[in-house]
Amino acid sequence: MTKNRIVLGVFCGLALVFWAAPSALAHGTGYSRSNKAAVVLDFYYSTGETMSYTEFEVASPADPKVKWLKGRTDEDGRVAFVPNAPGDWTVAVFDDEGHRAVAEVNVTQEFLDGGNSAAPDVTPKAAAPQGLDLWLRCGLGVSLLFNVAAFVPLARRRAAKGV
Amino acid sequence: MHISDGVLSAQVLAAGWALAGVGTAVGLRKTDPDKIVRVAFASSVFFLASLVNVRIPPSSAHLSLLAPVGLILGWSAFPALLVALLLQALLLQFGGISTLGINAVNVAIPALLASLLFSGPIRRASGPWSAALAFAAGFGAVLLCAAQVAFILYMSDKGMMNVSYFVFAAHLPLAVVEGVVTLFMVSFLKRTAPDLLQGVDR
Repeated sequence: MTKNRIVLGVFCGLALVFWAAPSALAHGTGYSRSNKAAVVLDFYYSTGETMSYTEFEVASPADPKVKWLKGRTDEDGRVAFVPNAPGDWTVAVFDDEGHRAVAEVNVTQEFLDGGNSAAPDVTPKAAAPQGLDLWLRCGLGVSLLFNVAAFVPLARRRAAKGV
Repeated sequence: MHISDGVLSAQVLAAGWALAGVGTAVGLRKTDPDKIVRVAFASSVFFLASLVNVRIPPSSAHLSLLAPVGLILGWSAFPALLVALLLQALLLQFGGISTLGINAVNVAIPALLASLLFSGPIRRASGPWSAALAFAAGFGAVLLCAAQVAFILYMSDKGMMNVSYFVFAAHLPLAVVEGVVTLFMVSFLKRTAPDLLQGVDR
């Protein structure tokens, strides 16, 4: 009788192991090379330095309020992610000093189907004006400041003449 | 100190706009209209100083010249810096529009305090004492600005407490550079145009 109970217990134990086996097997890990299309963006400051190791968030077109992906840029200020749906994706990078850069990436179904050979639609944004454009804007800014300042005595002179 | 749009909470932004509004109103009332060109000059100096990058390994930072602007303008620093920040945001893509108020507070308060605390002593002192006071004004203004930025980032997101310390520490080398620049500027102005350090109040 005792021997029968032992055999029954062992049998039940084995049955339980095989029933739970899929869950137990899930504790193992593996990997393979993905052939999905990736979006890769470079982020940098106006000084030319890369935004290295700064936090980023990716929002998908399915729900822009949900942080679809979070992480840190790599040493070269690069963000890479694999979109899983067509639409407008948003990548926001922000550092520890209040600087923030936001990139809008339009992902098409063609890009998703085309693998790494196709390119997503990304409109680059310069960190700051460069070259002649920069100096023209600086000149405009200084000119505006002095023109505003010149307006004050002119207005006072007109007011005095009016009196 | 140029905090971008989308970083701070709405409450912090609103407080920044309120403080900037009060400071600008007081500054405009105190400004002597006959000295408005000095205000434009100092505002232009701040506007252009942000383009000057100082290499501080492993990264770099830009000048702000808060103390010199404060020593020249006093309370008028508020409207002058607000306008300069607006032009930087529109023309140079530095900072943001929604953060204009808080950015103005971040730079104008250190400039104003530099004026209130150091303007008189610098005018009365001479030689090494004047130079030391000028260095202290420039050094302290940058550190105060960095401390304010760190506090504001902390108020917007308490999870940023650790990085707030980093923001403050990262500005120490820049504070030294600004202190030296302020020292030379004040020394030059005391010799050539001492009336510029009298302020522009009525």
